Amino acid sequence: MRLRLALAASLLLLLFAGTALAIQPDEMLANPKLEARARAIDKELRCLVCQNENIDESDADLAHDLRLLVRKRVVAADSDEQVKQYIVARYGNYVLLKPPFDAETYLLWLGPAILLLGGAGAAALYYRHAMDSADKRPLSDEEVRRLAALIADSDARNKGA
Amino acid sequence: MIAEVGLFALILALFVAAFQSTVPLIGAARGETAWMNLDRPAAFAQFALVAISFGCLMWLHVTSDFSVLNVVDNSHTDKPLLYKITGVWGNHEGSMMLWTFILVLYGMAVSVFGRDLPPGLRARALAVQGMIGFGFILFILMTSNPFTRVDPAPLNGQGLNPLLQDPGLAFHPPFLYLGYVGFSMAFSFAIAALIEGRVDAAWARWVRPWTLVAWCALTLGVAMGSWWSYYTLGWGGYWAWDPVENASFMPWLAGTALLHSSIVAEKRDTMKSWTIFLAIITFSLSLLGTFLVRSGVLTSVHSFANDPRRGLFILILLGVFTGGSLILYAIRAPALKGGGLFSPISRESGLLFNNVFLSAAAGTVFLGTLYPLFVDALGLGKVSVGPPYFNMVMLPLMVPLILLMAVGPLLSWKRGDLPEALSRLKFALIATLVAIVATLILAGVSSRSVWAALGIGLAVWLFFGALSEWAGRIGLFQRSFSDSFHRALHLPRSAYGMTISHMGMAVVLLGVAGSLAWRAEYLQVMHPGESAMVAGYRIAFIGAQENVAGPNYTAERGTFIVSRNGQFIAELQPERRVYANPPEPKSTVAIHTNFVSDIYVVLGDPGVHDGHVVHIFHNPLIPWLFFGAIMMVLGGIVSLTDRHHRIGAPLRRLGARFRPPAIAVAAASPLAVEHRLKPVRRWVYVLPLLAFAALAGIFIWRLHLADEGITPNLIPSVMIDKPAPDFDLPPLLASEPGFKTADLKGKVTVVNFFASWCVPCREEHGFLPLVTQAGLPLIGINYKDRPEDAKAWLAELGDPYKTIAVDAHGRTGIDFGVYGVPESYLIDKQGVIRKKWTGPLTPDLIRDELIPLAEKLK
Repeated sequence: MRLRLALAASLLLLLFAGTALAIQPDEMLANPKLEARARAIDKELRCLVCQNENIDESDADLAHDLRLLVRKRVVAADSDEQVKQYIVARYGNYVLLKPPFDAETYLLWLGPAILLLGGAGAAALYYRHAMDSADKRPLSDEEVRRLAALIADSDARNKGA
Repeated sequence: MIAEVGLFALILALFVAAFQSTVPLIGAARGETAWMNLDRPAAFAQFALVAISFGCLMWLHVTSDFSVLNVVDNSHTDKPLLYKITGVWGNHEGSMMLWTFILVLYGMAVSVFGRDLPPGLRARALAVQGMIGFGFILFILMTSNPFTRVDPAPLNGQGLNPLLQDPGLAFHPPFLYLGYVGFSMAFSFAIAALIEGRVDAAWARWVRPWTLVAWCALTLGVAMGSWWSYYTLGWGGYWAWDPVENASFMPWLAGTALLHSSIVAEKRDTMKSWTIFLAIITFSLSLLGTFLVRSGVLTSVHSFANDPRRGLFILILLGVFTGGSLILYAIRAPALKGGGLFSPISRESGLLFNNVFLSAAAGTVFLGTLYPLFVDALGLGKVSVGPPYFNMVMLPLMVPLILLMAVGPLLSWKRGDLPEALSRLKFALIATLVAIVATLILAGVSSRSVWAALGIGLAVWLFFGALSEWAGRIGLFQRSFSDSFHRALHLPRSAYGMTISHMGMAVVLLGVAGSLAWRAEYLQVMHPGESAMVAGYRIAFIGAQENVAGPNYTAERGTFIVSRNGQFIAELQPERRVYANPPEPKSTVAIHTNFVSDIYVVLGDPGVHDGHVVHIFHNPLIPWLFFGAIMMVLGGIVSLTDRHHRIGAPLRRLGARFRPPAIAVAAASPLAVEHRLKPVRRWVYVLPLLAFAALAGIFIWRLHLADEGITPNLIPSVMIDKPAPDFDLPPLLASEPGFKTADLKGKVTVVNFFASWCVPCREEHGFLPLVTQAGLPLIGINYKDRPEDAKAWLAELGDPYKTIAVDAHGRTGIDFGVYGVPESYLIDKQGVIRKKWTGPLTPDLIRDELIPLAEKLK
């Protein structure tokens, strides 16, 4: 469905005949519970021939076939995870829109935490650094005199106002 | 003639840009006022020339001049005038022209509003602006000339993609570009400040309003894109975490961070090198977006015509601007001295943590968007990163940020009082708890409603937090009403801007929470007279009328009546259109909104007995998402009208010597000078440069692959070195026995999936005899085809196969991991798959890969 602003269709898109739109009523399971599960699974599986869509939203013929397959597995009492693994066994982790946590994706999953901790760490260093750089010497006599004068001056102005 | 004028003006603009990027810069370096003062006339001339050029292109489109290739490719005489105008930027070349036009518009704004800026700063900033202009005009002239003629001129054009024939095209790209390109102002001034080696409050005071302009435009642009996608694509959603959407979201996040850090830079004269860094990063992310959309390094549903050569050019621009500025940053930033100190509990810290969260969020979107590319570059395989990932990781980054949004503005500068601030949020806390409990009571307790309640609670917290801050400022309920009223009138507009924007963010959150939790969906075949019940509404399908004529399309128009408890609410007429030029379909959604929720009806394919597939959504609170975005922009605009912010106004009135008083005192006082920070270690400033170099390397590698025809969505098979799947398929020809897994044993075999409807199969077919001539048995599997079509195809092109089996439903194809026919598999004597080729086999592939490998396996 979401061809969007695509000005150029990829070659692979052209390889597929038929113009099925996203998910269709005739693909759906009669049991609403199972159908809801199947649709949730659809949304986590990438359509392989599309630019960047899940199989629930895709027009592609292969997406239609995969939707039917997902339903077949759901009816065959596979768990959600088993259904996904069934597809992964044939197409690889590439089909998972939420990639598993493994050696390939450590950085992907830990990245946000690293970024956040890095930012917080940098902020902490900044405070320490600022404290270190702050001039902690007591005020000189000259400075005390100037400060008192400034305060008196500002008090006088406030009263005047 | 007009086309030549446009091209000539653009070439002249290139020369002016070259002049603008050098002469004022040299003048500023040498202190030659006359040279520096050439910056404004140059910027003006560049604007005039690009405007002429852009105007010419628009004229060519409006008058449908089909002697110009760009018009032929993207226009048609039957197109309504609006789409002839907006169609100018509905294609790659024209959109780059719009990009450049907006860039020079900003350049001219500097010369108009910046008369009283310090001449050195302005000359350098305009020189940088000139360099960007030079790069992009050169890019247009060398790779994307919109004025190319065609001879002979065709009678008519190809027309515009129907999806782009929408009023959204009139607003979404211009505002998006006003945002993207608007950040070039902060960028140019950051570079100018780095060259000068000085960042003062006057700098921040100039940069802030322009950042605000860009931020407003980008917020509007992104929101409009989201809305456009919502009302036009029939999927009921508004955000898909697609790489191109992310490409606009990254500069938004970074730009929002910049907007806040520049407040600290201006008011407190600190966080300056960080603000400069953000200015560089924000504009670089805008450039990155431009690169990602047009280079084809990532797969996206939105991409423009991908062209690796254009990609390479933009990458070079990105390298020059981002790489160059990061080098300058690494050299100069360590010398920038920080100013005022602040405690961890203070307004500054609130803004600092705003920046920590927003930067981490921008970094996360960046990581998720580009991760598939990184993994691929490191040879670790292919991964997909989609919406489920982003939703999961963005949540923990956004929740603390929003909690903080209510607290930060209540803290005072330098050293705040947290207990006092929290006590002022009592009312907001009570409202939050009430909202959560009320949601749970009204919606019942379920996992969905708990999430919704928390989301709504968060929104209420932010909304009332922002309101409390405003109430506190005017002393509401603490002072007399007339005193409060007086204070409310005299509160700076920038304060109102912040309150409105933060409240707008809360309204956006309500929209997100509501639409995530309570979206109801109905998908069935409906016949005329039937009704659907969705979220308490009855939606009756009256019927569909065929051949409704539009200006350049014919439509099938469905009519639906929406009612509730027998009360008529609305008539909705979604359409399935087929455009004449280009002959492509588009379905238009019909939406009824009561400003709290939407009924959203899509007419699908027709079936038997006048039945139609009908897709209905009930989208609660979605309208608020867009209202909230508009509120955020309004807040920005209100803030812009603040006298304090008015661009250049104080500078003009008081002359160039003007300095904000607080800073003037600080600079003059020896007390403050000794409080300045020691510089951070130098190497820290080199890290961004190294990261960017690595990124650029990956892009170059990916573009190189694309040049060799390897697209990013070519995926390796996981079936390699695994036994061929179990199958037992019937034959295509009655005289043959069919084919099953066991038949693969004992000899090296090539299995080829093909179909008569597959265009590249035709191209491959003539080379297949090369396989059989090498003595390899070639098994054909006819994939999802009609047998009579396949037989006719073979009769026409010849039958090179040893035997042909039929995979009518594609199940065996899926077991093999087929995703795009033709595909060929080399299977060894044990029946194990050893190699796979996706796409047509060529004589080279057969000779250099397939046959040698088969010989080895024999």
